[in-house]
Amino acid sequence: MKVERNFFSAKAIGYLIITVSALIMVMPFVTALFNSLKTYAEFTAVPPRWIPELFQWSNYAEVFKLGNFLDYTANSFLVTFLSVLGALLSCSMVGFAFARLKFPLKNILFVMVLGTMMIPPVVIIIPHFMIFKQMNLLDTLTPLWLLECLAQPFGIFLMRQAFMSIPKEYEESAKLDGCNPFQTYWRIFMPMVRPSLATVAIFTFMTKWNEILAPSIYLTSNEKFTLPIGILSLSGQWFGNEQYMVAAALMSLIPILIVFLFAERYFVSNFTNSGIK
Amino acid sequence: MESQRVTQTSTILTTKKRRLLTHEGRWGLLLVSPYLIHFIVFVVGPLIASLYFSFSQYDMLNPPNWAGLENYEKLFNEPLFYKSLWNTLYFAILFVPTQAFLALLLAVALNQKLKALKLYRMAHFIPVISSWTVVMYVVDAIFNPRFGMANNFLIKLGLEPQRWLNDEQLVIPLLVLVAVWKGVGYMMVIYLAGLQNVPNELYEAAEIDGAGTIKKFKSITLPLISPTTFLVIVLSTITTFQAFEQIYVMTGGAADITEAGGPNDASLVLMLYLYREGFSFLHMGYASAIAWILFIILFLLTLLQLWGQKKWVHYN
Repeated sequence: MKVERNFFSAKAIGYLIITVSALIMVMPFVTALFNSLKTYAEFTAVPPRWIPELFQWSNYAEVFKLGNFLDYTANSFLVTFLSVLGALLSCSMVGFAFARLKFPLKNILFVMVLGTMMIPPVVIIIPHFMIFKQMNLLDTLTPLWLLECLAQPFGIFLMRQAFMSIPKEYEESAKLDGCNPFQTYWRIFMPMVRPSLATVAIFTFMTKWNEILAPSIYLTSNEKFTLPIGILSLSGQWFGNEQYMVAAALMSLIPILIVFLFAERYFVSNFTNSGIK
Repeated sequence: MESQRVTQTSTILTTKKRRLLTHEGRWGLLLVSPYLIHFIVFVVGPLIASLYFSFSQYDMLNPPNWAGLENYEKLFNEPLFYKSLWNTLYFAILFVPTQAFLALLLAVALNQKLKALKLYRMAHFIPVISSWTVVMYVVDAIFNPRFGMANNFLIKLGLEPQRWLNDEQLVIPLLVLVAVWKGVGYMMVIYLAGLQNVPNELYEAAEIDGAGTIKKFKSITLPLISPTTFLVIVLSTITTFQAFEQIYVMTGGAADITEAGGPNDASLVLMLYLYREGFSFLHMGYASAIAWILFIILFLLTLLQLWGQKKWVHYN
């Protein structure tokens, strides 16, 4: 009896804490959503009214008429798509080689991969800028996705773990069937590591979709901006229409929210993996 | 005799060399080549260049000019450097323990057979997956000095309305509050993974010994998840010291970078200082010196944490 009562009360406190916390997480988003559906007069009213009198759904249509919002969206999609594709290909290739193949300097190279993870990006950001300047790639989207195509350490690490967990027999039977290492990697092993590929894809998607530092360094023309910095740049243009900016910001959240809803378990496994490392 | 031995070793070496570059070896090198390029072009090269720039005058228009320790001397005589260093430290001191504590609290609360567990977890992840731009507009709905909900609430309670991010005293605590709000779901999941590794038998044994909930938490849960706590603290210290996006976006830097850093540079952190010097004023050498100082501080902090962990982290 005593155990059960303790159990119940711990559970009740658990519910209370987690419910209050969940409300704190979500309520600001609801408030912003309501703000995005107000008229300007209502948006700036003092004292504020939480729920707008009449939902101005047209605010969302207005966003597309002002500024380069469509350009920003297209740029964000392009950068994110190329980054995800590049990360999937490069991280799986490199991860496979580290997990399955013998080649010179393999161990030293892998230690270097781990070492790269420890280098704060801030130390190398200025030389990166110089390199892209030399390559005449400033004010283009290329610097934003090129590095993802060259295998980022975290993705390599994750893919290596996945490839290592596959039994050796698969490799041997592939060899007997006359597969070269690339064919073994592409045809036999790749389909077996789909969950880790999903994790890499989602991690890259989220980083690139939300990235602010790199685009703010590499891009100067407004029509080249990606969504996060594009929306910020509109603050001058939309002065007096702040409710549109809230609508624009919330719209930029939709793609990542959809990905999250469909792939929640990969999000979580990604974070737990990063924790166990 | 001697020469014979030499030729013998050299034949062994060449056969070994030939064996090293087998079919598989060639494929291996080919498949890791993306990372090889990455490592040489975008890691080693930049590290060397950055170190060189930090000892040079460099404005990007003219070739770098060796200046010895000039940048570092200037840095250590610059009040703004100390201010940004202090702001960074202040941010970290408030942020790191608060986030770790709340993440643990939430993970413990969630680590039971609750209904709608997935829904709860999702609610905590919405801020995690939002960009700082989205967060800025969402937070503005609450903390806008003129028409935000928070001031409305304060007025209703009969209290003074605040200027929030425009207030020199409030800007960092408020940024920390928002950072915790955004990041705690992430750390909560890391803690959940740690909690799931605590064997249930230990709790059962303790219950037989008559230990209460608090006693069990103190003598079983806390020591057993101390490696996770250590990880959470190291990870969040590292990210905090490199925090840029939040402060850039939330304190007005997006419109004009020279404006970034809050009222009277009250939230100018090291990364923002670096960005401002490098990319607005084109003091690339000076900015590189800031980067290396930041690197050294982070390195020392991590060493300190690794050394300190012996006292409180238990590995079984």
